[in-house]
Amino acid sequence: MTRSHNPSRRDAVRTALTAAIALPFINTKVGAQALSGTVRVWSFLSPEGQTPREKVLKTLVDAFRARHPAVTITIEPQPFQELETRFVAAAAQRRAPDLVWMRDTFLGLVHDRQGLANLDEVLTPEFKARAIPDMYSVFVEKSVFGGFRTSLPLWPSPAQSIFYRKDALGEIGLEAPPLNWDAFVDAAGKLTKGNRLGFGLPSNDNSVASLLNILSGFGPDAFDKTTGRIDLSGPMAAEAAGVVRRLVSNGALSRTLLNTMGDDIQDQFAAGRFAMAQAFTPRFDQFKRIAAGYDAKHLAVSAWPSFGTRPASVLLGPYWTIGMSAASTNKPAAAAFLESLYSPEASMLWAKEAGIVPDRKSVMTDPWFQTPAASMIQVFVSLLGAPGALTFPQRLPDVTRIFPVLNKAQQELMGTDEAIPAILARARSTLGW
Amino acid sequence: MAAISSGSTSQTDLTIKGTQAGLQRVGTLLVGPAILLVIAVNVLPAFVGFYSSLRRIFFFTDEGFVGLDNFVAIFSEASTYATIARSFVFTFGSLALAVPLALLVALAVRQLGRRGRLFLTMLLVPWAMSPIVVALLWKWILLPSPGGLLASTFIALGWSPVALLTDPSAAMPTIIVVGVWRNFAFAAIILTAGLGQIPNDLYKAAAVDGHSVWERFRRITLPLLAPSLLIVLCVLTISYFNEVQVIIGLTTGGPINATTTLAYQLYQTGFVELDQGRGNAIAVVMFLINLLLVIAYVRLLGGSKGDGK
Repeated sequence: MTRSHNPSRRDAVRTALTAAIALPFINTKVGAQALSGTVRVWSFLSPEGQTPREKVLKTLVDAFRARHPAVTITIEPQPFQELETRFVAAAAQRRAPDLVWMRDTFLGLVHDRQGLANLDEVLTPEFKARAIPDMYSVFVEKSVFGGFRTSLPLWPSPAQSIFYRKDALGEIGLEAPPLNWDAFVDAAGKLTKGNRLGFGLPSNDNSVASLLNILSGFGPDAFDKTTGRIDLSGPMAAEAAGVVRRLVSNGALSRTLLNTMGDDIQDQFAAGRFAMAQAFTPRFDQFKRIAAGYDAKHLAVSAWPSFGTRPASVLLGPYWTIGMSAASTNKPAAAAFLESLYSPEASMLWAKEAGIVPDRKSVMTDPWFQTPAASMIQVFVSLLGAPGALTFPQRLPDVTRIFPVLNKAQQELMGTDEAIPAILARARSTLGW
Repeated sequence: MAAISSGSTSQTDLTIKGTQAGLQRVGTLLVGPAILLVIAVNVLPAFVGFYSSLRRIFFFTDEGFVGLDNFVAIFSEASTYATIARSFVFTFGSLALAVPLALLVALAVRQLGRRGRLFLTMLLVPWAMSPIVVALLWKWILLPSPGGLLASTFIALGWSPVALLTDPSAAMPTIIVVGVWRNFAFAAIILTAGLGQIPNDLYKAAAVDGHSVWERFRRITLPLLAPSLLIVLCVLTISYFNEVQVIIGLTTGGPINATTTLAYQLYQTGFVELDQGRGNAIAVVMFLINLLLVIAYVRLLGGSKGDGK
């Protein structure tokens, strides 16, 4: 199908950037000629999709093809919550893709099943010397299991943050959400007005649990240093659960909005249902684009409140990483494509087109990042470097169960009057902790 | 002559036997691939599923034989019994709505003739749709936000939006209604076919005898429709008991497990928590419950054979 198309400013920028990405590799043409064959990639992004990240991926694939005409890059989109399981199943059947998008929380399980290649053995020395030290070490090191580099982190950002409407907060004389839970709960209650709720929390995702984000307000102490578990019968869990109860009591959280997923919160936020909501940070641009019930210019992002005098919390995960199949039959081409996703030029493209913090820190010196268009990226970068930033333990125990179990506990906290210790004890018992 | 006759007879017998054997071989050859397919697609996976239920399999890694541990673990959890109870509520709640509705539609179709068949075709559209599409469609309708069709309508009428999918007391009735909406027309088709088998003369004779409409329905229609009702009950029971896509799409088992049926628990355990051994154990339990229900139906309704005597 052909269609007439008036090139927009964005298209022009994309074309220019594609050319810019391809140019630095011209002097490596001799090496490039050695690459051939097909590289299969599993991602939740589709090259045919229209979201900012999908458009960037398509641009990067096109740029790689331009440099390596003998290599075919095949993106095979998969449901994002099934990428790891499908990959492990495919690896067992010897039909795994060469590259796969995976969440950091699953890396340990996938690595234990020996499905991943050690990237240190396939990445070029130049990339290892220049690119890896240029990435955020907090993410990079989490992918390394006993010297085995399972994957490279993509899109460094505070994973789940609080999106808020400045216009709504302005109604109660605030410019941003308070960063202490006591003050936050009060403010959220005041923001409930008519059909609008003060706060929206997803409570039915399989890889996100708001209770963990609230608990992160206690800093790294929330997770046991040895086991990686949280103490569900301890005072920190009880206080985090108490926050949910207080938010329900003062009307900030709906008592009946119980099994919403992140996508539901996103849609309802767009419709103007919430003044503040938990959201996946890399979707900030998407939130702005679909805003309907309020003016998108009022959308802003905040860290999570903390308990006591601790610094505001930024839980850096779950986030996306990219690994290579141990059984890949085209490792050189797969490694080259993987490296191309992390070039400084690619980082600029992710930033400019999708509003994502660049993987390569050095590109932040580009003057573009001082422009208003990059103001949100500067906010994200400041969150990444905040004193309260922390990641999940490298091996989060019972990673396939903890999120659903905590979400059910959250639903019970929101929708029932059952005592908090009983709810948490049941969650603990379900996990067998 | 006798010898000739005898020889001719044995020759004929041989020919007949040979023809029969040949026909049997052809029959076997024709049916064979279908049987092999059924064994490969149904029987073998069932055995593998049962075998897997006796092993600890997590995240596609077989960690060895555990005997009945998976079953013990399932029945040691108090929530399992509530989950089974919810499966029955969903199944029989749906049946209680779907079967009478299907019967009413089938009777209407019989009365309306050609127009009735057109009406039935329209009602069949939801059944022909993918269950997950049906779920998404209803989710957009029932969203409690201002973006939801029902909520918007309520707001336009000056009423408060209702949270049919996220309120624990409303979620189960809501998914029952959606499940019925999706499936009842299929039952109506079977019942329409069953009604078509009942001779009109019986109704005419009953009318001459002065039987009321209700008596004709009770004494003629229902007994003669029993075989069709048996099929409908069996098919719909299995369908509702195993329903998972509508639940995944609408409520994901929530809120607070209000719509977590055994089928959804199987999905959650096997495909989300990735405990495939225990997931297969749940599948075995579901199979046994389905089997018991079908046996019960056959004993209750199968005996009448629709002879109406």
